[in-house]
Amino acid sequence: MTAGEVKRDERELVERARNGDREAFGDLVWRYQDTVYTLATRLVGPDLAADVAQEALIRAWRAMPRFRGDAAFATWLHRITVNTAWTLRRRSTRHQTQQLDEAIVDTGLAPERAGELAELRIGIRRAIGELSAGQRAVVVLRDVHGWSNAEVAHELGITQTTAKVRLHRARRRLRVLLEGPR
Amino acid sequence: MSRLSCQIVSLWPQGIWPMGFQHRHREHCLRCQADEARARSMERALVSLRDVTVAAPSYLHAATMARLGTQDAADPRRRLMARVAARYAAAAGVTAATTVALLTGLARRRSRVVG
Repeated sequence: MTAGEVKRDERELVERARNGDREAFGDLVWRYQDTVYTLATRLVGPDLAADVAQEALIRAWRAMPRFRGDAAFATWLHRITVNTAWTLRRRSTRHQTQQLDEAIVDTGLAPERAGELAELRIGIRRAIGELSAGQRAVVVLRDVHGWSNAEVAHELGITQTTAKVRLHRARRRLRVLLEGPR
Repeated sequence: MSRLSCQIVSLWPQGIWPMGFQHRHREHCLRCQADEARARSMERALVSLRDVTVAAPSYLHAATMARLGTQDAADPRRRLMARVAARYAAAAGVTAATTVALLTGLARRRSRVVG
């Protein structure tokens, strides 16, 4: 199946899911459950991630008729995941010191850089796990997932200035955790 | 370049006014340029995490499908928006109460002086 066909197929699935077709939504869940779960793991840690991913997918199903296709379906789903993680994390105090180590599926690693990058990534995942929930959310969305400051601020319900300050502090803290105090 | 100015520059978040002094300082400071290179390397490593996917637990699909329920077109952001609105309302309330308290205090003080 070509990229164009996959996109067309997805559009059809989304349209059917918008009209209440559970089977079509089930196919979308198969496609996106890993990315939703990955984002949830990075935001709240592995203990709460499955609950967040499940709740996000259920909220997405309920909200499907609202989906107008202005953004890509994946982007819309990620926004719901962030929102869900942000609301559910308050119910749990477990997220504070969770490490983010998980069984990972690497999709883009060149073999010659695998060892070096893998080591660095392990260090970074550990360091991200040490950040406060607010700092972690900003650094994951901005630096890992490439969201803009405006999008981060909007989804977390904070001002852009707050997002920038949190990002700055998070990056400084990450560097201290990775390189040691200077 | 003094270490103090380097520290001031490093403490200032990017994209927050005033920004010009950071650029001017970094253009001439080798220490800050080296620091920036290390920061960029970390940012590249963070971006590389985008390619890493954590496999969802095997039960997630079935568990999600079992709990779907009915579609009601509910806004998935409503809880967050309600919380933000409540926060703004609380901040406005505190500001109003403080202003009223200050004005009352000033009025009392003035009436005491006049009396």
